[in-house]
Order: sequence, then structure tokens, then C-alpha cells
Amino acid sequence: MSSRPRILRFFALLIVLAFGIAACTPAAAPAGEADASAKTKIVIWMGGEPGTVNTFSRLAESYQDEHPEVEIEATFIGSDLFNPTLLPALNAGTGPDIFATGTGPGQPAAIIEAGHALNLTRYYCEYGWNEVIPDWVVTQTSSDGKLWAVGDSVETTLFFYNRQIFADNNLPIPTSWEEFISTVEALKAAGYEIPIGLGAADKWPISHWQTMLWGRFASPEGVNDVMFGDGRWTEDHFVRATTVLKELNDAGYFGPNPLAVVYDDMMAQFWRGDIPMTFTGTWVIGDAVAALGEETQNFGIFQMPPLTPDQEIYPTQSIGTGWYINADSPNPDVAADILNYIFFRPESRIALLESGDTVPVGPLDMESVNLPSLSEEVFASIDVFAANGSIPAFFDTIQPSNMTSITYDGLQAVLAGQMTPEQFNEEIQAAWEKAKAEGTIMKASGAVACD
Amino acid sequence: METIEQNWRLKGRGGALSERTRQRWIRYLVAYLFILPALLLYVTFVLRPTIEVFVLSLYKWNGISATREWQGLANFQLLMTDKIFWQALRNNLIWLVVILFFNVVIGLMAAALLSMDIKGRVIFRLGYFLPVVQASIVTAMIWRWIYNPDGLLNNALKAMGLGGLARGWLGDFTWALPALAVAAGWAGFGMSVVLLLAGMQSIDQSLYDAARVDGANYPQTFRYVTIPGLRNVITIVILLAMQGAFQVFDIIWATTEGGPIRATEMLATYMFKKGIMENEYGYGSAVAVVLAIIILGFAITNITLRERGDE
Repeated sequence: MSSRPRILRFFALLIVLAFGIAACTPAAAPAGEADASAKTKIVIWMGGEPGTVNTFSRLAESYQDEHPEVEIEATFIGSDLFNPTLLPALNAGTGPDIFATGTGPGQPAAIIEAGHALNLTRYYCEYGWNEVIPDWVVTQTSSDGKLWAVGDSVETTLFFYNRQIFADNNLPIPTSWEEFISTVEALKAAGYEIPIGLGAADKWPISHWQTMLWGRFASPEGVNDVMFGDGRWTEDHFVRATTVLKELNDAGYFGPNPLAVVYDDMMAQFWRGDIPMTFTGTWVIGDAVAALGEETQNFGIFQMPPLTPDQEIYPTQSIGTGWYINADSPNPDVAADILNYIFFRPESRIALLESGDTVPVGPLDMESVNLPSLSEEVFASIDVFAANGSIPAFFDTIQPSNMTSITYDGLQAVLAGQMTPEQFNEEIQAAWEKAKAEGTIMKASGAVACD
Repeated sequence: METIEQNWRLKGRGGALSERTRQRWIRYLVAYLFILPALLLYVTFVLRPTIEVFVLSLYKWNGISATREWQGLANFQLLMTDKIFWQALRNNLIWLVVILFFNVVIGLMAAALLSMDIKGRVIFRLGYFLPVVQASIVTAMIWRWIYNPDGLLNNALKAMGLGGLARGWLGDFTWALPALAVAAGWAGFGMSVVLLLAGMQSIDQSLYDAARVDGANYPQTFRYVTIPGLRNVITIVILLAMQGAFQVFDIIWATTEGGPIRATEMLATYMFKKGIMENEYGYGSAVAVVLAIIILGFAITNITLRERGDE
């Protein structure tokens, strides 16, 4: 057989395939379906495991129900994959209309600097967000007098404890450092191998301890002095705080192998009643209520007592996540309206509060809210100490990203005895100076003014 | 049609090309047309990004800003003095040793046992191969549970009266790396078993018969017939293990993220941290380039040796 007919057959096959593919491709929407295609589509990307359904996604659905002309596509992306997905999308001009990511210096600042985040100041003033968002949140979500993100929640860290275990061992809530130590010792003596749960294998839970202790010893002014002034992380109070963390570990209060314990496993042990207490954040309440229901009443919270007689209790506060509007979004006004609906509408704020895992920023109307008992206790505790001022709950959201690995690995090294507290603080200071020289630390933004 | 026919008749030294040459060109054309879609995909999704990474390694870039700062080879110079980079490279080499032990030594032993006529052979083969088809994240979760302070391994040790050996394996600076390498070895050696088994089955039976006639016992037969017969397969197994050992990422990330205190840091995890987490895309790309060169070296050796073996 000659090859010419074969090649002709090959091309004929290609043509048939091309027609086949064309036939399988959906045709343009018929006239009757014009309504569906005329909808304004808003794409939202949030951090979380794919398939997650949470209060944010429910509120987005609710917005969609009330606005049939808008179609919302909410996508959850795992934390490790969020940035690798978001950045190329933004660079290509194809990113989501709304994206929820960190705030502060590092990647968020780079996104803003690159012009991918929309200036939200107009909406801030028009919708009256300026009357809701507290100054400290504005500071962390703005620069040069412009608001770039809406902080979705205020997160605080404190001790969660098992009431039953404390009652069985006749242990009161500690109100001083001495009482705290004797409580932990009593729990150890009662046979609890891990008196204070710490999932140090995940690294970030240690940094929550570090942030709280550094803030406690330095006071809010001491922290701000370094963040926005000429203070140094090597000052005595910061080193003393790191030393306390090491001493707690050396005494075995975090158990024999904190570096081998994963946070989720530790929390499971805590809710099961195998660990009497742990230092973590309010984000655990929602899941606990969902999983344990009424049994969550068996758990309580308390603030770390003063570590020295003259020390004040400063509640910790940080922003959960910042919600940004893509500067390339074709529908920024609709996107802003969705943000307003989710975070500032009174009914939405109640829904967020009642979920147990989200405390919206700004003043809260607690009268009509049916809160989980743990949330109620948290609010009560913060109310008691709020007048003292607050300290950050997480340094990693307000420090430049080059410090994250150094902090995480360094804290593990301190716990393992491979680095002294002094060495750790010096390493942090060196990274801070490098970031400062490169201009990547957080700047004091000043107020966002509404004319 | 005639015009097409005429177009094919290119004028050459001796006038029209011969029918044979023409048909050869048509064959080439058809072959290239078949290759073209795959080539386009390769160029778009492999070659171009790879070249981009090489270019990116010469810049300082935060991954999103419109401008990149030219660095030349500064990222590579910095890499040479970066203690964490060298620690990661050392960890990759330790990993390689453990993986080689699993793939070659244990793989060879398992393949030898499975080549014997024993009952339930298929079940064993399936059992060894199962972890290979399992998602790596599942492997990571299984071994995280095994190595947990309250996990299977420690409980087994305590049950045997060896509680003194129990420890938080993945939180132990000394043991985390070997522990994870063993997990990865377990997960991957099934592939070596399959390759080696296939190699054993292709060895000429008459060689074994001749060895037996000469009075060779089993170990001698294994040493002087099986091993030389498997030379090419063993080479491939070694080189595949080497490539895999330098590409390791998923099991580390899903268990320790390079901790505790960088004890399980690998070049791939370090690259991810610097590039994606710390927004130093240029520096992360420099790590990626070094990693690519190492893997490319193994791949070229692999292909060269395999083709020599084929000859």
C-alpha cells in the first residue's frame, strides 16, 4: 500500500477528531438561559481544606440567596497551597475577586505594593466601617492612610482547662505564678504525664507561647518600642520571657516529648480529658462545640497569671485573616457589598459570634447572642483585663516573613536545649535588623481618614 | 491532487527525489505530527518553567512585585555559605543511604524469596507493592501514627519490655531523619522488588542448571548467577533511588515540615520554605537549580547506563 492514502487517512482522522471535539463542546447559551449568564459572578478564595463549609461560606450563600443577580463561588485552598496558587493568579490578572489571606508585612505587603489589592478606603467610609473597626485593626490592615483589607476576626490566646480534672484534684484557677506552678506540679503528681498540652511538632503553637510571654514581660509599650521604635528583641525582658518558656519545658510541664506532639493530636487528647490544660486560641471553640456539644461546659478558660508580682495581665489580640478585593476585579462594588454583608451586617455578626470560632472585629452587641459558654468566658475575661492594654497573640502575622522559620526552628531549638534563650533572641534580632534594613517590617500606618 | 504530487517532487541533484526518499520524508512528517502534541505540552509545562526557574535564580524577587532585582550569581554565592543548605544536602545523602539499603538490599532479598515456589506468593507480592500505589500523604499519616509518642512503635516496645527505647521519634533530633527514611523506604521498596523479580525471571534457567551441575549451593548460585544477571536492573534501581532521594518532599512536609530544628530539612523542603513561605523566590529558585542539576546528573547517568546495558 502506498503511503499517500495513509497520510490522507491520517489527516482525515484529524479532521474527524476536530469535529468530534467541537461537537462535544457546549454550545453558546440559548436565549432562554440568558438570565443565568447575566449574573455577576464573584469568586472568593479562603484558606481551609477543600470542601469546608463554615460561617463565612454560609453567609456568602445567604448573600447569594438575597441577591439572585449575583453568583458567588467560594473556594477553600489549603494553607500550604494558598500563596503558590494566589500569587500566579494575581500576576496573571485572573485571581479571585475576593481573597482572604494574612495581614501585616511580608506577603500581604508585597501584594499591596504590587498593586493587586484594591484600596478599600472609599467603602470603609461609605459603609461606615470606620465606626466599627478598632484602630489597632486598622493599623494592621492599612498603609499610607489607605485601608487594604477587612480583618475578619479577633483571635485571642489563653489557657483552656478541664474543669473536672481541676475539681477532682481540688485545684483552683491560679492567680499568681506560684499558684500556677503548684497547680502544674499537682497535676504532674496526680499522674498527668502532660500537664500542659503543647503541640510543638507543628512549631507555631510554641510561637503563641513566645508571643504571650514576650508581651507579658515587655508590656504593650515594650513590644511597640521594638515594632515601631528603636527597641531590640535582645532586651532583658524578652530574654527573660524566653528563659521562662525553656524552664517550663525543662521542668517537664509540656510532657516528655513536646517536639513529637502534633497540635491536632494534642487537642484531641485535651478534649478527651487526657491532658488537663493547654494554651491555645479561641478558634478551637467552634469545632469543640460542633464535636462535643454540651460537654464543652466541662471546659473553662483562664488567663496566664502575672509571672512577677508587678506584672499586669494583658489579653492577647490579633487579627485572624484579612479579606482583600482584587484590584483587577471587574465587580469591586459587588465584592465590597459582600464584605459588608459578611462582616458588618448585624445579623451576620451574630451568626459569626454564635459559630463560636469567629469574633468579629469591633464592638459587639452581646444582648441578643446565644454564645457557647467558652466564648462567654473569653469575653468576660477580656473585659476584666482590657483596660490594661493588649499584646499581640501571634508575632508571625506582624513580623516579616523571613523571621517565621527562624522563630519556629529557634523555639524548637530552645526547647530541645540546642540553643540558649540569649542565642535565640540574638538570632531574632539579627533577622529583624536585616528586615528593617530592607524595609520589610510593619510600618505604623497612622489613621485612615474619611472626609 | 496533482499539484500536491508535484510539490512533493522537489528538484534535487538528480532531478526528482526518489520514491523511497519521498516516503521516508512522509514517515518523518507523520512521526513528527504524532510527537507534536506531547512536545508542545512538554515545552509549555516543563521546559519553559524550568528555564524560568533558571532565570529567576539570577534575581531577587518577592514573587509578586512588578520589578525583579538583578543579582547575577549572588544567590548561588550565598547558597555556598548557607549552613541550612549544606545541612539539607547532608540530610538528603543520609536519606539516600537508607533508601538504597531498602531498595537494593531488602528489595533483593524479598525478590529472591518471592521468586521461589512458595505458597501465597501473590499475596506477598501484592503486600510489598501496595505501599507504592498508596498516596504518599497516606503513608505519611500512617507512619506519623506509628511514631507518635503514644503510637504503635512505642507501645510495642513497652509491651516487649523495651520501654527504655521508646521516644518521641519524630520529635527527636537524632532519630527523626532515620525514622522517616525507614518509612519512605518501606513505602518505595515494592517497586524495586517488582523490577528485581522481573529481572530474575528473565535470567536464563540453563545458567542455574549448569551451576547446580557444577555443585553450586543456593548462596553461590545467587552470588555468581543471579547477581551478575541482575546487574542492569540493580543499576536502574540504584539510580531511581538516587533520583527519588533528592526529590523527597511530601512525606517530610506532611510529618515534620523539616523539623525538629531542621533535622529533617531536605533541599526540596528548604526550597519551598525560602521561595514560597519567605517570599525569596530568587533564592528558592537557586536551591531548585542546584537540586535540578543533581537530579539531572543522576538522570543522565541513569539513561547512559541503561542504554549501555541495552546494547
